[in-house]
Amino acid sequence: MLKIAPPLWPMICLVILCQNIRHLAPQSHTVTTKPLQLYSSSHPAMGTTYSLYLYASSATEADAESAAVFEEIDRLEQLLSNYRESSELSRINREADSSEVTTDPETFEFLQTSLEWSALSNGAFDITVGKLMKAWGFFRASGHRPTQQELTQVSNEIGWEKVQLDPQRRTVRFLSPGIELDPGGIGKGYAIERSVAILRADNVQAALLSAGSSTIYALGAPPGTSGWKVRVPTLGDHQNTLSTVTLRDTSISTANCSEKNFIQNHHLYCHIMNPHTLQPVEGILQVSIIDPSATASDALSNVLFVSSARQRASILQHLPKDSAFIITGTRLTSRCKTIRWTGTRNGYCSSRMANKTH
Amino acid sequence: MNRRDILQGLSLSMLSRKLLSNEPLLAQTAKTKPKPIAANDRINVGVIGPGSRGREVMRQMLRIPGVEMAAVCDVYEPRFAEVNELVGKKVMSYKDYRELLERKDLDVILIATPPIFHSEYTIAALEKGKPVYGEKTLGFTVQDCNDVVAAVKRTGQIFQIGHQLRYASWIQQSIKRVRQGDIGVPTHVYAYWHRADDWRRPVNDPKLEHLFNWRLYNETSGGLLEELGSHAIDIANWVFGETPETIMGSTSIAVYHDGRTVGDNVQAVIGYSKGRRMFFSSITDNAMMADQIWIYGTEGSAQITLQDATFYRPTQKTVTASSHTDIVERGVKTGASYKTSWEMPYRGPGERVQFPSGDDPTLTACQAFFQSVRDKHQPVASAEVGFGSAIACVVGKQAMTEGRTITVPQLPKS
Repeated sequence: MLKIAPPLWPMICLVILCQNIRHLAPQSHTVTTKPLQLYSSSHPAMGTTYSLYLYASSATEADAESAAVFEEIDRLEQLLSNYRESSELSRINREADSSEVTTDPETFEFLQTSLEWSALSNGAFDITVGKLMKAWGFFRASGHRPTQQELTQVSNEIGWEKVQLDPQRRTVRFLSPGIELDPGGIGKGYAIERSVAILRADNVQAALLSAGSSTIYALGAPPGTSGWKVRVPTLGDHQNTLSTVTLRDTSISTANCSEKNFIQNHHLYCHIMNPHTLQPVEGILQVSIIDPSATASDALSNVLFVSSARQRASILQHLPKDSAFIITGTRLTSRCKTIRWTGTRNGYCSSRMANKTH
Repeated sequence: MNRRDILQGLSLSMLSRKLLSNEPLLAQTAKTKPKPIAANDRINVGVIGPGSRGREVMRQMLRIPGVEMAAVCDVYEPRFAEVNELVGKKVMSYKDYRELLERKDLDVILIATPPIFHSEYTIAALEKGKPVYGEKTLGFTVQDCNDVVAAVKRTGQIFQIGHQLRYASWIQQSIKRVRQGDIGVPTHVYAYWHRADDWRRPVNDPKLEHLFNWRLYNETSGGLLEELGSHAIDIANWVFGETPETIMGSTSIAVYHDGRTVGDNVQAVIGYSKGRRMFFSSITDNAMMADQIWIYGTEGSAQITLQDATFYRPTQKTVTASSHTDIVERGVKTGASYKTSWEMPYRGPGERVQFPSGDDPTLTACQAFFQSVRDKHQPVASAEVGFGSAIACVVGKQAMTEGRTITVPQLPKS
């Protein structure tokens, strides 16, 4: 199972500085004090593949950390997956429109955080998009256009303000029938944040954890470096680099339409929905945002993707520690914009820079 | 088995003196009669052993209206911070379970310690007049199993064993159909719990090795048969409507030569009446089969997983022919038993079992437990149910060690 070199990342790619990367394999239990070595492992969960790179003194140590991280991710999938009938989120979806549902503190806090992002973004982020995603065929399917009648029905079954939380009793209640929570815009970031907490508690000095290509957290820095180098590939061309950023104790999330979409009558429909219009978002191709919290960057990437240019500017003005790289327009007429972005800008955007703000 | 010696081998520094003492159980000298719990009363839970499984059961219990975590006991102090994070507030903590059981305000006790302590803590709680939700297995020895069943009868208290699969709606539907003859006569249960996981918990301090990795050592663990196989044995008991008669098995260390004394793979054959058999396999270096149970009957098969169930009927029943059917007399053919059509796995469609709720079985098990406490009736997963699987695990360990078939003791008649 040991491999020396990692494959190229499909969307956001870690540029490996150390050549002696090892993939995890069962090893002896003996703990030794060797120099730190970079190990990698991956695990399928939440409809994607989580990848962990970490520096450890032995394969055994790396294996133990890897097992703990992936166990935590599996636990959170069982908590939050809307694809699993036995998850807590699915139970809430089934029961909260007919009665109050008491839930555990962690799930309640996750829902509180989700609704806070909805309030902060005026509904650009909305965890109640479950029925909307199904109407557009993005749940267990490859996508299709819904009828107007279906959208009219969905309009009654969406709306974060229709979710009532009672912190005293830890209950959830849907104020309208048919609401379905979909954690797609925040769940993976939350899983990464919780997993990184485990790595921190175990005193791991340098690790990088990614959920597919959408959210990455960089813990510490590889030995002798200032941080983990992460490359953002060019849109539609995974071999070429849009930007390379150096991350340390922070996260990056990217939202774009290249992973989930469908084409009908020569028109590309994106899986990221505008909860206000009930339509896939148009006029924007990619958002990458760097924020210290993986939960926040995951949610924010969707918020910025859905919001108008003016709203985006306003939101980022209120997040002075965040930086963003945004590509708007269409593939033929795309424009790049960066806000406090410290990474490189290569090729694709050199002639497309709308403006940049440092 | 001398628990005191074993405890001293675990982690003396972490265990309280009282826990190690030979004092008679306080519980045996003080019987109390707690007031009945009304439908809307708050239920205060005391938890003994909030390790990884214990905290998962606590999390499920917190999803039930009116349930509060009021006290927790563990010998490993850092555990208390994890409990506080889970519960969302500070929970009163104890290092001696007897101090916890002295609390008058506790309505029920959750016991999720290693099985070696189950009988002692369970009996103490029952004697204190507390209903108990006890994680499997019921006991670590034959005597343990007998003692817990006897204590439940003696005290009349509610006891539920943590065989949560009894409360999974798709499994309930499946077993009901199997017992009604949906796959003919069920003759075999084949259960797999295969993982790609060394089963080892990371330990920074070698002194804590046995405390954290108690599952890996024979002195404190029944190994994969007990920790994983007991759930499948319980399903087989349910299917066949009885407890096992015999058990034989094999175990070895094939991959993880890291100082553990329990096997990293187990194969067990469990005998029931009328020649019916259960086979359990657990390996820990390949998760291809994962956790699934197959029930084979004379007319079909049922596959049960942790999320769903599917019935397969590859061959059609012989049916009565029309009186107008032409009958052709054929001679009897003889030949080898090989038939091409029989040798390939069935790849036809299955029928997914329809079930009313996909709720997590541990949640539905906990809901049923609190309902039993409120209604004052013994739960489905009773002490007797726990006995049926635990006793097979206890003697199964011996059978594997000695390499022979052992008769499984039956529930003592009261």
